[in-house]
Amino acid sequence: MIKRSAAPLYLFEYMFDIFPQLVVNSLIAGSIYALLAVSFNFIFSATRFFNLAHGSFAVIAAYAVFYFGRELGLPTFLAVGIGVLFAATSAILIDRFIFHPLKMRGGSPMILLVASLGVFTVINSIISMIFGSSFKTISNTIDKQYFELFGAAFTSVQLWIFILSLVVSIGFFIILEKTIFGKVVAAVSDDEEVSKIVGIDTDKVMAKVFFIGGGIAGLGGILAGFDTGVQPSLDMFFLLKAVIAAIIGGIGNPYGALLGAYLIGFLENFGIWVIPSEWKDTIAFVLLIVFLIFRPSGILKRK
Amino acid sequence: MIALEVKKMKKNFGGVKAVDGLSLKFEKGQITSLIGPNGAGKSTMVNLMTAMYPPDAGKMIVHGVTLEKWKSYNMPTYGVTRTFQDVRLFEQMSVLDNVLVVLTERGVFRSLFETHGELHLKQAEEILKRVDLWKKRDEKAEDLSYGQRKLLEIGRAVAMDADIYFFDEPFAGLFKEMVKTVVSILHELKNNGKTILLIEHNMDLIRELSDHVIVVDAGKFFAEGEASDVLARKDVVEAYLGE
Amino acid sequence: MDYIMHLSVLVGVYAILGLSLNLVVGYSGLLSLAHAAFYGVGAYGSAILMKDFGFSFLSAVVLSVLITMAVGVLIGLVLSKFDGDYYALASLGFSVIAFGVFLNWRDLTNGAFGIFGIPKPEIFGYKFLAGEPYAFLVLLAVIFTFLICYFVVNSSFGRVLKAIREDEKALQVFGYKTTLYKLAVFVISAGLAGFAGTLYGSYISFIDPGGFDDLVSVNLIVVVILGGLASLNGSLLGAAFFVLLPELLRFVGMPDSITGQMRQMIYGLGLIALMMYRPQGILGKFRL
Repeated sequence: MIKRSAAPLYLFEYMFDIFPQLVVNSLIAGSIYALLAVSFNFIFSATRFFNLAHGSFAVIAAYAVFYFGRELGLPTFLAVGIGVLFAATSAILIDRFIFHPLKMRGGSPMILLVASLGVFTVINSIISMIFGSSFKTISNTIDKQYFELFGAAFTSVQLWIFILSLVVSIGFFIILEKTIFGKVVAAVSDDEEVSKIVGIDTDKVMAKVFFIGGGIAGLGGILAGFDTGVQPSLDMFFLLKAVIAAIIGGIGNPYGALLGAYLIGFLENFGIWVIPSEWKDTIAFVLLIVFLIFRPSGILKRK
Repeated sequence: MIALEVKKMKKNFGGVKAVDGLSLKFEKGQITSLIGPNGAGKSTMVNLMTAMYPPDAGKMIVHGVTLEKWKSYNMPTYGVTRTFQDVRLFEQMSVLDNVLVVLTERGVFRSLFETHGELHLKQAEEILKRVDLWKKRDEKAEDLSYGQRKLLEIGRAVAMDADIYFFDEPFAGLFKEMVKTVVSILHELKNNGKTILLIEHNMDLIRELSDHVIVVDAGKFFAEGEASDVLARKDVVEAYLGE
Repeated sequence: MDYIMHLSVLVGVYAILGLSLNLVVGYSGLLSLAHAAFYGVGAYGSAILMKDFGFSFLSAVVLSVLITMAVGVLIGLVLSKFDGDYYALASLGFSVIAFGVFLNWRDLTNGAFGIFGIPKPEIFGYKFLAGEPYAFLVLLAVIFTFLICYFVVNSSFGRVLKAIREDEKALQVFGYKTTLYKLAVFVISAGLAGFAGTLYGSYISFIDPGGFDDLVSVNLIVVVILGGLASLNGSLLGAAFFVLLPELLRFVGMPDSITGQMRQMIYGLGLIALMMYRPQGILGKFRL
C-alpha cells in the first residue's frame, strides 16, 4: 500500500482528484448491477431456485438492441423497448415450457438448477452462432455528450443508465409495496401452498414474475451494452454479478439486492485503487465467498 | 440410575417457544414415553437431545457426562441413536446399504480400506431378518411400502447397538403384524438393559410398553408418572383434547 | 488413423475429467462447477515445472497433481460448508477466480498469451509422441483413473458418499463427520482432474486460460450428467459423446466454425430433456 504509507502531498491531491470519478464509475456500475440483482432476487423469491439462465435474459435484450438498433437502424428507444420485450418474453416462455413443467413433475431445486444450466448453454450457443463471439458495440449514433461534475467525467449515455436504473428501480419498488400485485407476489414468495389455498392463481403470478423479472434484467443488459458493448460470454458475467449482489445484500430482500449491487459497484471501483485493475472481477467473488462463510443470509434480512 | 438428563432446555424458532425450560430424566433400562398434544415440543426435544441443533439454553448429561459440543455426529459416542418421525432413509440406496452404512467404519481412511466387510454383512443380515426385510435387501428404500420403511428405520437404529434409543412415533401407520414386530424389538432392547424414549400417540401401546410416562405441553413439563395414573388424569386428557 | 488417435487422446482426457467429477456430483450429490480450475492448475503446474524448472514429465505430473490436491484442500474446505444451490454457486465462483489467476498472474502463467512448447512426456528414455504412443499413454491413464474411482465407489467410503447425497443431516446422526468425507472426495477428484490437465498440456503443447474457464466447468457437468450420474461407464460415454459429437456434425456437413456451438446447443437441449424425462442421465443410477 505504497499510496497510503508515506504519501507526499501530490498523492493526496491525486486521491482527492480521482475520488469523484470513482464515485461516478461506482454509481454507473451499481446502476447496471441493480437492475440485474433486483430482477434476480424477484424471481428467486418467488420460485426458490437459482436460475442460472438469468444473465441470458440480459444478453438476449442487449443483442436484440444490437440487431434492431444497429443492424436494422431503428430508433434507439424503440430498439430498447423491443429488447426488453424480447427478454421478458423469453423469460416467460422458458418458465412456461421448462421450469414450470419440471416443478409439476416434482423436480427438486437441483434439477431445476441443472435445467437452467441447460437453458443457459442453449441460449449462449444460439447467440454465438447468430452473432459470433466477438465483442460488439450496441450504442447507435447516440450523440455522446460529455459532462463534468465535481471533476468527474461521464457521458450522456452513462447519465441515462443512472437515471433509467433509478426510475425503473423506484417504479419496481412502488409496484412491490403499493399495488395488490406486489402483495400477491409477496404472498406467493412467502408460501406458495398457502397462497394456492387462499385462491391465488400461483401459475399466473409466476408467469408475470418471470415476465417482469426478465424484462428488468433485459434492461440491465441493454444498459451494460450501451456502456461497454456486448459479447455472448456476458451472460455469465451478468448472472454472477446479479447473484453475488443479491446474496450479499440479503437474499429474499429486494432492497438488499439494490444495496448489494451498489456495494459491489463501489467496492470494485474503489478496490482497483489499491489492487491491480485486472483483478477487479475477482473482488466480487472474494466478497461472495466471505459472505457465504460468515453471513450467508446477507446484509439485510429476508422480507 | 439416570441414563440421560436434560436441564432447563430452551429453544426458540423465530419467536415461537418450542421448548421452554424443560427438564427431563430418563432411567436406564426403562422405556419412557413422551406424550403431549401436537406442537408440544416433543420432536424438538428429541432433536435437541440428539444434537440436531443446539439449544438456546440448557444442559444435557449423558451417563453422567455433560455435553460440551452440540454436534449430532458425536451422539453415537455417547451411545445415543434415533429414528425420525418423517422417516429419513437414504432413499435411492438399497435396503441393505441403508443398514450397512451405519455398521461400517467411521473414519475416512478406514472406510476406504474396509477390512471387516464380511462381518458387517452378517450383522446386516441378522438385523434385516429381524425386521423381515432381508428378502428385499436389494430394493431401493424409496420403493418400499410405508410400513416397511418404518421398519427399516428401526432396523437401522438397532444396528447402531446404542445405549439410549429415541423412537419418534415408530408405530404410526403400521399394520398389526408390524406393530408386533416393533413391540418385540422394544422388549428385546429393554431386556438388554437399553434405555428407550418413545414418542407415541397410541394410548394402548403407551400403556402396554411404558415404565414411565412424561407429559409435555407447549414446551413445558406438564405431568409424569406411571402410564395408568397419568393417562387417567383429567387435566392430561383435557390438554390432549383441548388442542 | 492419426486423427482417430487424436480423438482418442481427447476422449481419454475428458474421460478422466468426467470420472473424477462424477465422484463429486454423481456419488456425493455435490454440484461442483469448480472442476475446470483443477484441470487448469494441473495443466499449468506441469507445464511450468517442465519448461521453467526442467522437471521430467513423471516428476512434473506427480508434483503438479500434489499441488492441485493442495489447492483442492483449500477450496474444498470452504465448499464443504455448503450444499445444494450455494455449493454450485460458490464452486462456480472459484472457477472464475482460478481463471482470473491464470489470466492475470502473468509472471507465472504468461497470462492471455499462454504457454507454448510444453514438452512431450519422456519416460525412461522413451518419448511419447502424438499418435499411437500418446493414445496408449492416455489409455493407461484412463484405466488407472477408472480403477481408482471403482475402488472408491465400491468401498464403504463410497457408500458413505451416497448416503451424504441422500440425506447428509440424517447421516450425521449416525456418527459421520460428513464434512471430512466431502473434503476427501473433493480432493481426490481434484487430483485426478489435475492429472488430466498434465496429460492435456503435454499433448497439445500449448495451453491458455481460455481452456480452463467457468464454461469448461459447465461443459464437464453436462458430460457427467448426460453420461449418467453415479455411473462410471456413464462418464466414459459422456466423454466420448462430448468429443465425438462435433466430428459427427462435421461429417454431416456442418461448417467447422459452428460445430463447437452446435455441440453446445445440442448439449444444452439434451440436458433440459434429460431433466424432464430422465434426470439420472443416460446410464445414470441416481437423480439429483
